[in-house]
Amino acid sequence: MKIRSIANVGLETVPVDVEVDVAEKGFPGFTVVGLASKAVEEARERVKTAIVNSGLDFPNKKITVNLAPADLPKDGAAYDLPIAIGVLLASQQLLLPKDFNLENCHFYGELSLDGTLRPTRGILLLGLFAQAKRGTLFVPETSANEAGVVENITVIPVKTLKQLINHLLRTEEIPILKYIPPEEIADFHGIEIDLSEIAGQEQAKRALIIAAAGGHNLLMWGPPGTGKTMLAKALPGILPPLSPPEALEVTRVYSVSGMLSPGQALVSKRPFRSPHHGVSAAGMIGGGSNPLPGEVSLAHLGVLFLDEMPEFPRQVLEGLRQPIEDQTVEIVRAAGHVKYPASFTLIAAINPCPCGYLNHPRRECKCTDKQIAKYRHRISGPILDRIDLFVQVSVVEAEKLMLTTKRSANKITSKEAKNQVVMVRKTQEKRFKDRGIYTNSQMKNSDVKKYSQITPDAENILKMAAEKFDFSARSYYRLIKVARTIADLENSTKIMPTHMAEALQYRQMV
Amino acid sequence: MDFKKLINWEQVVQLQKLKALAHPPKDLYYIGNFDPKILSDCIAIVGSRRMTDYGHRVIEKIVPKLVFEKKAIVSGFMYGTDQYAHQVCVDNGGKTIAVLGWGINKKLSGYDKNLAEQIVKTGGLLISEWETQEGTNWTFPVRDRIIAALADEVIVTEAAVKSGALITVRDAIKLKRKVWAVPGPITSKTSEGTNNLIANGTAQMYLGETVQQILTFDNPILSILQNETLSTDEIARKLNKPVPEIGSELTILLLSGKIVERSGKYNLSE
Repeated sequence: MKIRSIANVGLETVPVDVEVDVAEKGFPGFTVVGLASKAVEEARERVKTAIVNSGLDFPNKKITVNLAPADLPKDGAAYDLPIAIGVLLASQQLLLPKDFNLENCHFYGELSLDGTLRPTRGILLLGLFAQAKRGTLFVPETSANEAGVVENITVIPVKTLKQLINHLLRTEEIPILKYIPPEEIADFHGIEIDLSEIAGQEQAKRALIIAAAGGHNLLMWGPPGTGKTMLAKALPGILPPLSPPEALEVTRVYSVSGMLSPGQALVSKRPFRSPHHGVSAAGMIGGGSNPLPGEVSLAHLGVLFLDEMPEFPRQVLEGLRQPIEDQTVEIVRAAGHVKYPASFTLIAAINPCPCGYLNHPRRECKCTDKQIAKYRHRISGPILDRIDLFVQVSVVEAEKLMLTTKRSANKITSKEAKNQVVMVRKTQEKRFKDRGIYTNSQMKNSDVKKYSQITPDAENILKMAAEKFDFSARSYYRLIKVARTIADLENSTKIMPTHMAEALQYRQMV
Repeated sequence: MDFKKLINWEQVVQLQKLKALAHPPKDLYYIGNFDPKILSDCIAIVGSRRMTDYGHRVIEKIVPKLVFEKKAIVSGFMYGTDQYAHQVCVDNGGKTIAVLGWGINKKLSGYDKNLAEQIVKTGGLLISEWETQEGTNWTFPVRDRIIAALADEVIVTEAAVKSGALITVRDAIKLKRKVWAVPGPITSKTSEGTNNLIANGTAQMYLGETVQQILTFDNPILSILQNETLSTDEIARKLNKPVPEIGSELTILLLSGKIVERSGKYNLSE
């Protein structure tokens, strides 16, 4: 008896056939073969008990389950359901109607001892896999919504094994889960922190808008308690909304990680990931013997915020270089080789010194020069080279602001900022449509020459600055990219001197 | 860098002032081109290792003027005030004497080496009374007496209550040198020592140029920076103008040398 199921290797889906044989001869037993992990091995006990508790018989015969292809390692409890159905079919307790097309059905889900189905990860990937053949899915009801956003498939949300059997025998019909276009369920407008809620920090806010518009990575520099975290949290709210295909892309990663809450269909907000600096390299980049996505992939199409960046282990920071450059991560383990997307905006925050109070107007810094130099050296050049914008966040005396702020020239809400960002993203899309990139930050040096349209005056300013501040060649190009985004924000086809001059405000200073 | 021993320093007329010390140095070693003229008109600038923006500005304000008066700046080559005083002096083409708190043969590296080279290049000296001594907790106070003795006047720019700069002051007073202290905000820990010196009469208040120039500027940014050090955000707030505009103007002013920036704050260049 052959039941169709799948295995997710990274974000790729491989078909898995669950073959069940109930032999008339031989010593009674229950064996699972086919590179099954511990969780799959244990399916024997769950399946046995679930079948019995659903009021059916577990055959006292020699049962062999083969998960094919035999050389692909399989993990997770999702094979409980196909194994149970296989056993019932092979022992002829379940006789399918003649016109039932088992070939096009996929079973996937974890069983609990009483026969109910438990939330199972990776359902969205199963749905996308079945889409090509317009297949039918039998999946746990609690996770079924994930597949609801996939068109052209039939999703049967199953509550219990008993209910499924009745459905297959056509004594009780389980209603099909309706297809919901991603556009409809997505709540694309949630803003966690509005720019207008943050007092002061005008320049940092501007830097955020530039970062969002041009896809630039940003480093904020300043003492604790000045709102660096709040500023970072405001970034998802000014990024353009996720398009439905993007939302699906993000949801795939979350589905594989099992991070969707039961019943959740889609990740519709831009992810904001803020891993603690205790994170391991595998936690950041992804890993495990059966590699799962790391923070960089969970932040895909969103924001990765590294608070107190120098506190992160060197190895973890160096691991970020590849994902920042390639926008994907490749993880190689004995079990296989997987690729996860990792296109994120990096926001880093650093204190000016280990104690945090260097140059603080009211508090005394207790660090020695050596400690400060050591602290700053923890971030390597190659990482700093991948950050385009540097901005200082200084102490704001909030009560002072409240008293003096009239109608400020710098007041901006996230909604207004988002509109600017969306407009600039469109400009960039047009500019790079033949080039296969999306944002100014992705320009290579040759592209900078081709697309930046810098006026001679603006270039002169940059040259003067290069001499005064002793830039590297890389900084030179970085500043042109930032100036390009600023010019786009001002709706100018050329980079004017004022744009270049503003870009120089965000030059590297650590 | 090669060092030399100063043979019979007691014979050098300009070094007679060292003899006033209770314990004059036995030997003197130096790096640079020795010309006794540099020793004839010296002024010491001392202060905290950890200096604030204010300390930087004080040095930027007073050192160029002293260089213009052809005085040699004497200091202790320690990071912070000492090195900044040497640096501003050489930047302005002045001669400076660095009295090392360690033996002359110690290999310098990084910024120290770079600064030492600049000092020698502009005709200054690095001197020490030891050939091979390691720098350790007693050597620094000991060399302070040489700074005090070489200088005809001592200016303390910034000092906390327990600053090493105050040891130089004590030595200078014993030698009856004129001691100046730069007043600072009474809220600042790094000015507590200097303010105390003024308050108890040990030092005279140093105000740099006493006649304040009143300048008028066409540019509103320059006008508000006349009396204050401000960040981009603060300037934008005061003038109620958009940050992008202020930012780009600041860059232009910075490049034209009208203002200087230090850790995100701007002030007029002196």
